[in-house]
Amino acid sequence: MTQRSRNFLLLAPAGAWFLVMLVIPLTVVLIFSFGERGAAGGYVPAFTLEQYANLPARWAAFKNTLILAPAGTLASLLIAYPLAYYLAVRADPRWKTALLVLVIVPFWTSILIRSYAWIFLLGGRGIPALLAAIGIEDVRLINTPFAVLIGIVYGYLPLMVFPIFVNLDRLDKRLLEASSDLGASPWRTFLQVTLPMSLPGIATGCLLVFILLMGEFLIPAILGGGKVFFVGNALVDLFLQSRNWAYGSAVAATLVILMLVSVTAYMRLIRRLGAQREDVALM
Amino acid sequence: MTNDTDYISKRKFMEELYRYRRGSVTRRHFLGVTGLGTATAVLAAAVPGLRPRPAFAAGDIGDRVVLATWPNYHDPANFEAFTAATGAAVDVNVFGSNEEMLAKLQAGGSGWDVFVPTNYTITTYVGEGLIEPLDAARMANYDPAAFDARFAGPGNVDGTLYAVSKNWGTTGYAINISKNDNVTPTTWKEFWDMTMDSFSGRTMVHDYQLTTIGNALKYFGYSFNSVDPKELADAEKLLLDAKPHLFAINSDYQPSMRSGDAWMTMCWTGDGKQMNRDMPEIVYVLGKEGGELWSDFYAIPKGAPHLDAAYALIDFMLTPEVNAKEALFHGYPVADSRVNALLPAEVLNDPILYPAAELLDALEFGAAATLTDPNRAELLARFKSA
Amino acid sequence: MRIYAAFVYLFLYIPIGVIALFSFNAGRHASQFQGFSTQWYGKALSNPFVMEALQTSLIVALVSATCASVFGTMAAVALQGTKGPLRTAFDLLIYVAVMIPGIVIGIATLIGLVTLFDQLNPVLAAIWPGGPPPQLSMGYGSLIAAHTLFTMALVIIIIRARLAGMDRALAEASSDLYATPMGTFRQVTLPLIFPAILAGFLLSFTFSFDDFIIAFFVAGSETTLPIYVFSSIRRGVTPEINAIGTMVLAASLLLLIAAQVLLRTGRRRG
Repeated sequence: MTQRSRNFLLLAPAGAWFLVMLVIPLTVVLIFSFGERGAAGGYVPAFTLEQYANLPARWAAFKNTLILAPAGTLASLLIAYPLAYYLAVRADPRWKTALLVLVIVPFWTSILIRSYAWIFLLGGRGIPALLAAIGIEDVRLINTPFAVLIGIVYGYLPLMVFPIFVNLDRLDKRLLEASSDLGASPWRTFLQVTLPMSLPGIATGCLLVFILLMGEFLIPAILGGGKVFFVGNALVDLFLQSRNWAYGSAVAATLVILMLVSVTAYMRLIRRLGAQREDVALM
Repeated sequence: MTNDTDYISKRKFMEELYRYRRGSVTRRHFLGVTGLGTATAVLAAAVPGLRPRPAFAAGDIGDRVVLATWPNYHDPANFEAFTAATGAAVDVNVFGSNEEMLAKLQAGGSGWDVFVPTNYTITTYVGEGLIEPLDAARMANYDPAAFDARFAGPGNVDGTLYAVSKNWGTTGYAINISKNDNVTPTTWKEFWDMTMDSFSGRTMVHDYQLTTIGNALKYFGYSFNSVDPKELADAEKLLLDAKPHLFAINSDYQPSMRSGDAWMTMCWTGDGKQMNRDMPEIVYVLGKEGGELWSDFYAIPKGAPHLDAAYALIDFMLTPEVNAKEALFHGYPVADSRVNALLPAEVLNDPILYPAAELLDALEFGAAATLTDPNRAELLARFKSA
Repeated sequence: MRIYAAFVYLFLYIPIGVIALFSFNAGRHASQFQGFSTQWYGKALSNPFVMEALQTSLIVALVSATCASVFGTMAAVALQGTKGPLRTAFDLLIYVAVMIPGIVIGIATLIGLVTLFDQLNPVLAAIWPGGPPPQLSMGYGSLIAAHTLFTMALVIIIIRARLAGMDRALAEASSDLYATPMGTFRQVTLPLIFPAILAGFLLSFTFSFDDFIIAFFVAGSETTLPIYVFSSIRRGVTPEINAIGTMVLAASLLLLIAAQVLLRTGRRRG
């Protein structure tokens, strides 16, 4: 058996999987997106651009997603970075592993249940009641974009902490010592040594969180009270409520294109920033 | 569905209603009073555990039955009794809207054995071939003569029985009047005006088109079922104006109302009753302008995997004693006179369950056209994503 | 710095604490504490539908993680020695598979398979020899297939990263010493990439076990644990859900500690 035919055989299962589960379904979505809604819902074959022309009707959902996905990514990064830094550089090495595991543990309870706990915490009997006790009355948190943002940061924090930690942990501590020996202030050491060195981790973490947020449905559904709508919520609505498969397919296709464009642009940008290493991002 | 048939059903409905106003209230009262003696006896006999009936004793109906239904709509004790009597456990799936049920059935492979459609959806299910005709002979406890035709009627389509009546009720709103100086509003106009004013951030509306759009249409005095583009445009404007003032768009409103996060919500009869029972400051209001009158059914979807268990469950739930326990638990009126004969007078005279005639008078049954009307579906989606 | 870290840990653990606390609630409602009780643990454990959902989730996660690891490893190893259009095609497919949001995978699988089944079922019925023909429908198969799509792409990426960091000279030396390709793989490559395969398997398992959105669309009549939880939340949250969440958490912690202990003793011996 030649190496060529052996490779071919090894690739066959994965190839078949991609064909049946990715290529064919995405093609069907694309075909459906040019069709029409059936009288009682579903799909009727046709060739029309009507569904795409109607996309502005979901502009608000796209806008929310395109604002809250990057905002959520950024917020996660800002909260995760100091923690990852602490764990990698400052924490007592004896406790490092345990502390890291503690970041991941909440991840093992279903995101559904964890988000549900936030309904209680952000609802009238939770944090607002505590605030009222110290004199800050009538704070409303639940069912607001802020609540969704909290849910996002809470849900995806471990995904951000982990890659940054791995990156910082590998960093040669002697570099930091050298920098301070040469008289650099801690802040300057951070900006000129630590931060650039941790860019790959930041890039990976941001990419992971951003990808998940672009298709988010659960967190806005649970903590947004049906008022904070992401594209994911619009899609669930179109397929599971109004049963408009054609329009839903057009929205899905648009989301995929948006993601491919923004993620490709993002990766180009990261490469140009010079963080061009094997461990950059996912690819 | 054409406007023609809508008109006929509406007229028929009005005739029924007049008949009802003339006699039925006293009849129900009469039943409540005279039936009370027997009721106590029958209920007492039913308590020590249900004797196996032929349908259940026949045995092998499998170990499960899958039910798709609405929130807060069953007494869990009845399911436990069913399992004890038949060996089949009841898997309860809760849904938020008829649209969602329809979408799930259209996608195929729902795995349901019994589901609970609302009156205006049944013709669509029949048209789409998604619902199984019912064999009355397999439901020993089904007695068509016992049912109020007004509510049980939609279960028959073109002379074929597809669904048997579960409950009927109204869609009004529940309001925590302690937040409104103990004043009880009476109209949909107040509902929307208060939402955008003193109740800003405290109101909930349903997460489906029929009642959310319908009750916005009522603000202007239009028909609850309107599909007229101009009237829908008015409703849309109202909904979009009100949206920033809403607490949530969600059909499961009891937790938020009970916790005090929400003060007012669109509400179905039984949920209104359940909340009022526990928290008297939450009252149930029917808008003077009108709104929805509805009836729910038990039905079997095409291809139900446990058909025997499905019939057994429906038959069990139709047993008057069981159904009476259900009604006492969930607070929805029943269209079965045998059940009403078992219910105590205070239930039968409860104004939440049986509203005054002039309020009932203004209500409309949901029209089938609204379920599949693309404009109403899109309007709601625009409202939600705005 | 330490204070900051403490705050983040508080943020992470307060909701977990709330979940665990209410799982011991004697009352029916999940938001009002009415006394201590462990009854909900008993209820959850004796609820056949919870146990069944758990079983479904475990089976789906195990099978899909196994498929993803095996086929993903095969593909990653083969892609090492592949160039030209085939390589480009695979790179693109992997990229798209990872990039696409779960919700789109769910929707595309749903309408793609429903359309496919609608075409295949009549054909199957026509050629089936005697007896009622099997009906293709959504269920275990579609769940496992959809989860595997995403996790397999993930496994390929993880293993490729590991292979890229590996010394090619080792494999070359092995084949210079007349080892068969299979022998080289077993003796040299596999031990080196094994940690990556294990990591890929665990990641795949976790993803599949916790996935809600894909399953929401493609599960058909099957109920996974997240779907059960979602449905129960709509039925009105009882502390039973909290008990389930707490138990899943405790079980994962136990597994983790066990794995840690095993690794330690293993290392000491080696």
